[in-house]
Amino acid sequence: MSVTLQLTYEMSKALGVPRLELDGPETVADVVRTVESRFGDAGADFAKLTRVTAIAVNGVLVNYRRGMKTRLGEGDVVAFVKAAAGG
Amino acid sequence: MIKGYAGRILEIDLANCSFAFKPLDEAIARLYIGGKGYGTRLLYDRTPAGIDPLGPDNPLIFATGPLNGSVAPQSNRFAVVCKSPLTGGIGNATCGGSFALGMKKAGIDILIVERCAAAPIRIEIDGDRDEVLFHDAAELWGKGTYATQECLGKKQHHAVIGPAGENQVLYAGIVSNERIAGRTGVGAVMGSKRLKAVSVQGSRKLDMEDPEKFKEYTIEVRKLFKDHPVLGNSMKRFGTGAIVNTANARNILPTRNFQRGSFSEAMKISGEYLEDHELRGVKSSCIHCPVTCGRDVDVEGVGRVKGPEYETLALMGSNLEIGNLKRISEWNYLADDLGMDTISLGASLSFAMELHERGVLDAGISFGDPEGVSELIRDIGHRHGIGDDLANGTRRMSEKYGGEEFAMHVKGLELSAYDPRGSFAQGVEYATTNRGGCHVQGASMYMESVGPLTINPQNLKLKADIPVVQQNLACAINSMVLCIFTTYGIIPKAVHEMNPNSLRYRALALAFENMGPLLRTAMGMKGPPMLWFEKWLSYITGSKFSGGHLQEIGARIFNLERMYNLREGFTAADDTLPDRILHESTFEHMQSGHPLGQLLPKYYKNRGWDTQGVPTPRTLERLQIRI
Repeated sequence: MSVTLQLTYEMSKALGVPRLELDGPETVADVVRTVESRFGDAGADFAKLTRVTAIAVNGVLVNYRRGMKTRLGEGDVVAFVKAAAGG
Repeated sequence: MIKGYAGRILEIDLANCSFAFKPLDEAIARLYIGGKGYGTRLLYDRTPAGIDPLGPDNPLIFATGPLNGSVAPQSNRFAVVCKSPLTGGIGNATCGGSFALGMKKAGIDILIVERCAAAPIRIEIDGDRDEVLFHDAAELWGKGTYATQECLGKKQHHAVIGPAGENQVLYAGIVSNERIAGRTGVGAVMGSKRLKAVSVQGSRKLDMEDPEKFKEYTIEVRKLFKDHPVLGNSMKRFGTGAIVNTANARNILPTRNFQRGSFSEAMKISGEYLEDHELRGVKSSCIHCPVTCGRDVDVEGVGRVKGPEYETLALMGSNLEIGNLKRISEWNYLADDLGMDTISLGASLSFAMELHERGVLDAGISFGDPEGVSELIRDIGHRHGIGDDLANGTRRMSEKYGGEEFAMHVKGLELSAYDPRGSFAQGVEYATTNRGGCHVQGASMYMESVGPLTINPQNLKLKADIPVVQQNLACAINSMVLCIFTTYGIIPKAVHEMNPNSLRYRALALAFENMGPLLRTAMGMKGPPMLWFEKWLSYITGSKFSGGHLQEIGARIFNLERMYNLREGFTAADDTLPDRILHESTFEHMQSGHPLGQLLPKYYKNRGWDTQGVPTPRTLERLQIRI
C-alpha cells in the first residue's frame, strides 16, 4: 500500500525533499515512525515538527477521525497542516 | 464633533464641477461608525431603488473611519461604497495604501462623488485651503495605475483607476499605491463618471480623546503582533501566500475552476516558495502596519513590483492549473496596472477555460497552459474581442454561453479561494454575504479550516452561528476602517503553540464546536473594551466600545445592506452557492456538496429574519435601522 505525504515547508527543509511516497504504513502513526526512522537526525526534526502541525488524510483532519490511529488506504494523501491566515 | 472624526463630508458634483463641505452627522457616526457602515447609510438614503450602477445617479462614496489617520497598526484603509455594476446590489470594497491617511489629513471623513463628467477629469483636494480643483485628465486617460500615480507625483495621496475602470470592466477596482479596492466593480463606477484620479492633501492631525493611553496601548499591541505566530511570523515571513499549502492540505484550494480542492503543484505557487525563489528586496506594508504581508517580485520587462497575494496565487494559479509563479506574478502586475480584481478575473479565466474544455467557447486559453493568458488579460482590461465578454464576469458569461452550474459566483460576485465544501461555515458566509461570494466579509474559514483552532468544518455544528458573528465583526472592522487581518490576532499565541494532535487541543476544539448559541450570546455581551480595536476606538472617540457593541453595530450595518439588496429585488433565492458546490463532492466521504439547505433556515433565525430572509420589524427596531 502506497501513500503520499504533503509536507510543510519546514518539514521539506528538514528532510530535503518536497514530497514523499511511502509504502506500507497502515496508520498515521506509522507514517511518522517510518519517516523518523528513515531520515536519522532529520527524521527526529520531522517528528518534532509533527507535534505542532495538524495532520489531514485526504483533506480531513485526523482529529475528526481516529487521531494518530487513523487507518490509511491505497493512494491516500497524508498532509501536514500549518495554521495560516490572510485574505 | 466626536473625537476621531474630521467632522466633514465633501460632496463633489462632476457634472458641473462644483463642491460643498457639509457637516458629518454625529448620530449616523454613533450608529454606523464610518467607512462601510456610514457609506451604506448614505447610499441607502440618497438613492432610489433601481438606479443604473453605471449611470449618473450612482454616487461613489469614499469613506474613512475614526481609526484612520492614527498610528494604530492596520488602520490606514478606506472604504468605497456604491451600487455594484457586477451584482446589481450593494457594492463596497476597502483598500490600504495611503489615501485614507490623505483624506483625514485633508479633514474629510467622507467624499461623495456624484454624477458624471463630460470628459476625462481628475480632482485635486486641498483640505487646508478647503479647495477642490478639477483638471482635464485626457493625458492620463489610458494609462495604467502605476504610470498614473507616477505622473501625479508623491506630494499628494491618490486613488486612481486604470484602463479596466475606464472601460467599465465590471470587476475593475480603485488603486492607492499598490493596493486595490478590488471587489464589486467600484472602479467601473469611477470610470463611468470619467473620473481618472482623486488626489488629496492636507496637514490636519487626528484629534483623540485620550492620546496618551492610545499611544501607550498601541506600543503594547505592536509588541503583541510582533510576537504573534500568524501576524508576526507566518504572514511576515511568507505573506498571505502561506495559505496555499494549508488550503491544499485541507482540500479547499480551488483547482481547475473548483473541480478539485488540491493541486499537485501547490508548493510551487506558495508563499514559502515565493520566499525562497522569487522574493526581491524588502517586504512591504501599508502605512503603520508591522505585519508586512506584501512582498516584492521581479517581473520581466517591468522590474520590481508588488507580488501576488493568496487569492491571486489560487485563482490565477491552482484554479487555472498553472504552477508557474513567474507567470502569476506577471498576471498580478498586469491586473494591478489595468486596475482589476484578481479574484473575479481569475474566476472569469477559469470559467472560460472550462467552456473551452467543453467545446462551447474558444477564448484561446486552456487549463494548465499559460499561453495566451497575458494577452487575454490585456484584452479584458481594454474590452477587446472575447475579452469584452470576460470583462462582464462569470454570471453574465454563463447567461450568454451557458454553464451556469459551473459559473463560480454568488449574487454575481465570483467566489474567493476557499472551497466551501471543506469549510461549511464559509459556505454559509458566501451565500449570505450582501456583496456576494467573498471571504473578507467574515472570514469564517479561519475558525474552521486554516486557523490554529479549527472546529470540524464538515458537520452542522456552529455553521449557522459563526458566520453571523464573523460577518458582524467584519462590518464593524470595515467601518473603523481597519484591515480584517487584525482579527487574526484574536486567537492567542498559547493556542497556536498547542499540539494540534493532542487530547487537550481536541477537547478545546470540541468544546468550542459545541458552544451553540452561547457563542453569539458571549460575543454579544457589552462589558469593558477587551481587544485592541475596541480599546483604540474607545481611546480615540471617548465612548466605550466592547465586543458586544461592535456585534450590535456590525449587525446594524449588515442588516441595512440586506435591506438595500431587498429593495433592489434580491430574494432568499439569491442566498445560494454555485451548483458545483452544492451538488459535486470533492471529498471521498461526501456524497454531495455543501449542505446549505440545512443551514440557511437556522442562519435566518439567528439573524432575526423571517423564513424568506427578510429582517423582521422587530429586528430592525432592535438595531435602530430606519428604513
